[in-house]
Amino acid sequence: MDIDKGLKNRIRRFAMWTTMVLIALLFCLSVYGAFLGPKRAKEFFNSIPLAVFWLLYIIILIAGIGLFRRLLRVPALLLIHAGCIFILAGALWSSTGGHELRQKLLGIDKIRTGQMVIYEGDLENLVALENNQQAKLPFSVKLKDFRIEYYKPEYLWVQSREGQSWKIPVETGGEFSLGADFGTVKILKVFENFKITIDGDKRRAIDDSGPGSNPAIEVEIKSPDGIVDTRYVFERFPGHSYPEDRLLLSYHRIISDYISELEIIKDGKVLAKKDIEVNHPLHFGGYHFYQSSYDAEAGQYTVLEVVSDSGLSLVYGGYLMLCIGVLWHLWLRHIFTGIKLKSE
Amino acid sequence: MEIKYTIQGLLIYAAIGAYVLAFVTSLLRRGKAGHVLYIFGFIIAVFAFGYRWYHVGHVPLQNLFEVFLCLGMICYPVSLFCQRILRVGGRCVDMLIGAIVLFPAGFIFSAQPQQLPPALQSWLFAPHVAVYTLSYILMAKATFQALSQLTGKSYDGDEKLLQPEQATYRMICAGFPMLTLGLVLGSWWGKLAWGDYWGWDPKELWSLASWLVYVGYFHFRYMFGKKHARINSTWAIAGMVVIVITLLWANLSKLFSGLHSYAT
Repeated sequence: MDIDKGLKNRIRRFAMWTTMVLIALLFCLSVYGAFLGPKRAKEFFNSIPLAVFWLLYIIILIAGIGLFRRLLRVPALLLIHAGCIFILAGALWSSTGGHELRQKLLGIDKIRTGQMVIYEGDLENLVALENNQQAKLPFSVKLKDFRIEYYKPEYLWVQSREGQSWKIPVETGGEFSLGADFGTVKILKVFENFKITIDGDKRRAIDDSGPGSNPAIEVEIKSPDGIVDTRYVFERFPGHSYPEDRLLLSYHRIISDYISELEIIKDGKVLAKKDIEVNHPLHFGGYHFYQSSYDAEAGQYTVLEVVSDSGLSLVYGGYLMLCIGVLWHLWLRHIFTGIKLKSE
Repeated sequence: MEIKYTIQGLLIYAAIGAYVLAFVTSLLRRGKAGHVLYIFGFIIAVFAFGYRWYHVGHVPLQNLFEVFLCLGMICYPVSLFCQRILRVGGRCVDMLIGAIVLFPAGFIFSAQPQQLPPALQSWLFAPHVAVYTLSYILMAKATFQALSQLTGKSYDGDEKLLQPEQATYRMICAGFPMLTLGLVLGSWWGKLAWGDYWGWDPKELWSLASWLVYVGYFHFRYMFGKKHARINSTWAIAGMVVIVITLLWANLSKLFSGLHSYAT
């Protein structure tokens, strides 16, 4: 009996020290990973030796629950440790390796992550994978429209060669005084897609409604001596100025959102639709679709990140258990005890 | 070094001044006057934070300037909560912490207002940063208690208050749930914004590292209790060192470019 007890104590001590070593090791690996940068760190932490390390972590957590009665007796502690097991198991399940293993063993062919490029009005089911291969989704995604929204008002920045600067809100017809030395600036027209057309021998600036994007503004600068100069300021082509220009102009817009209007289509039927934006992905058929990138030149296509949702509920379940456990153990039980003592 | 000749800057400098004066007055055994100055500094810090909020039009927790401003504001309520509820002293040191955390907001980081990029337009933005901010202040208080244990100097003569080792433990118990919540909320938000609940970003890894230091602290203290009080205290200080790296080095150094770079 005593030998049993002694052995159990030795095993418990060994388990505790192993836990301490694993915590210290994960700390060191995290610091090392921080120096690698996200891409290399992801590869490193998803490598086979690290998969063994994660499994070891799960084993020691399970062993801990088995060895230490307190972890079973105190529900909050059980939640914390079981939560960590759930998180690690979910992470392994959702990893690239987990997906590959399930494909080999169970024949489940699910894309882990990839990207889709879809032009406005097009239907697409091809996903470009990380290994430069392509895979097909069991349904198609249609991009109805893609648009970028900007913070209002947009601004024209005016800078004198002497270092003075002004920030002028871009409103058609708006006139802004630059003081007695520089005169006034007036916004004449705002273009979404600036183009020049030749009408006979005259050149004319138009806002083309066709494909493409070339944001610009037409500005009238009136000097204090009454000389009027009209200039075009382009968002994408800054620095159009001459040495004799007293004022340097630049046009900046700050993006507030990217929005892709999507429809999920299978056999000609629309199964789901959503306007996705950053922080608001579309979830359908075991995948999340994220707004990832876009056609910066003409705004004609969107780039979606497609991510499998496998293992996500395990991870989220683990998060919930961990948070409830920690809050309960370190906060709530003390609050309740305090209230109980006061009432007594 | 950037001196801010603006209302925002003046409010920050006034709050720093009040906190420093409160600290000096308390050191000179003028406790009541020190407390009044501390409250005064807090009120100015609230004004500074509110003014910033009004000025930028969103919860001002976007960059390091705003985070440090928030840290300077929450010092007093945290101090009061710790003294009254947790029986953890160190109010005098808290005044100094208030001045220290406001210093970078006043003199180092730019106060240039920024629009929220699309990724930050989430309801998770404010709670994620707020719980981290709160946990950092609680852990900073734990660190001062740990230092107090190591040096053997206690600044409070009040017998109702806990001894430094126990106070350190209690402060870490108060801060750790916030640290955990911050990590989990960040992970959840990362999934919504970037597609992955864990991106192996330097900031994420440093946050995990700081969380792990405290996990180690709890396991070590469970194993040995107060037997190795000095090691317990050293552990708590190490946690704060990693938090400072997470908050500053991981954000500012070009070594750690990643998804969190906008937070500078």
